[in-house]
Amino acid sequence: MPDEQNPQPQSGGGAPPRREGGGGGRREGGPGGGPGGPRRGKRQYFRKKKVCKFCVEKIDFIDYKRPELLAPFVQDKGKILPRRMTGTCSRHQRWLGVAIKRARNIALMPFATAADPTPVQRPH
Amino acid sequence: MEERLYDLIFICRPATPEEEIKKIITALEHTCAEKGGKIEKVEQWGTRKLAYRVAKHREGMYVYFQIKTTHGELISELERRLRVQDAVIKYLTIRLDEDLKRQQKLTRRRDKRAGRRSRRQAAAGEHAAAAS
Repeated sequence: MPDEQNPQPQSGGGAPPRREGGGGGRREGGPGGGPGGPRRGKRQYFRKKKVCKFCVEKIDFIDYKRPELLAPFVQDKGKILPRRMTGTCSRHQRWLGVAIKRARNIALMPFATAADPTPVQRPH
Repeated sequence: MEERLYDLIFICRPATPEEEIKKIITALEHTCAEKGGKIEKVEQWGTRKLAYRVAKHREGMYVYFQIKTTHGELISELERRLRVQDAVIKYLTIRLDEDLKRQQKLTRRRDKRAGRRSRRQAAAGEHAAAAS
């Protein structure tokens, strides 16, 4: 009885291959259309787990006097990057913000400005 | 009163002659000595590119001081002196001792924890050896 009620999944030798083919096509279509990346098992997108750089390197004091250390945590324009982009822990993000703001005040880092500070050309 | 640690950075115009910077530094040292401050460090970072324009300059000569003092008035006096200098285009004072204290506390805690962990691992190793 159950076999007769649902003929598509079990009976009918032609149906399952067609469905598999269709499913395969859809699965292949997904990564091709969206952003690609290595497919591991069921996961479409594999993202490396981000860890706080300051925790890993055991930095307790973020020095505002070394802008080259702070540079990876700001955009080209000088905006502070959010935690979700850099993976910094909340505590270090807080100190990082303080350090960047101090560095800005003494012209070691830019406030949010153009990436390349070219003189503004005024239309004549 | 407890002693406080400050960072004092100032930027001079890029065309400032070396002697003038020396003069400013000695003047600040004098002021420090008068008011009972102790200079821990003096560094000249030389000419650096500024991240943005300051007083129409794109570069500046950085001078860095680290000062220990119990008198807060010393800082305001130093800042006043920097403000009247024509060569100085920007200055910044930052109180550091609290940040450093926090750092020491965290470092100590981490060391303690690391010590405890290694001891525990050693103990576990002994246990395993005793069991087998």
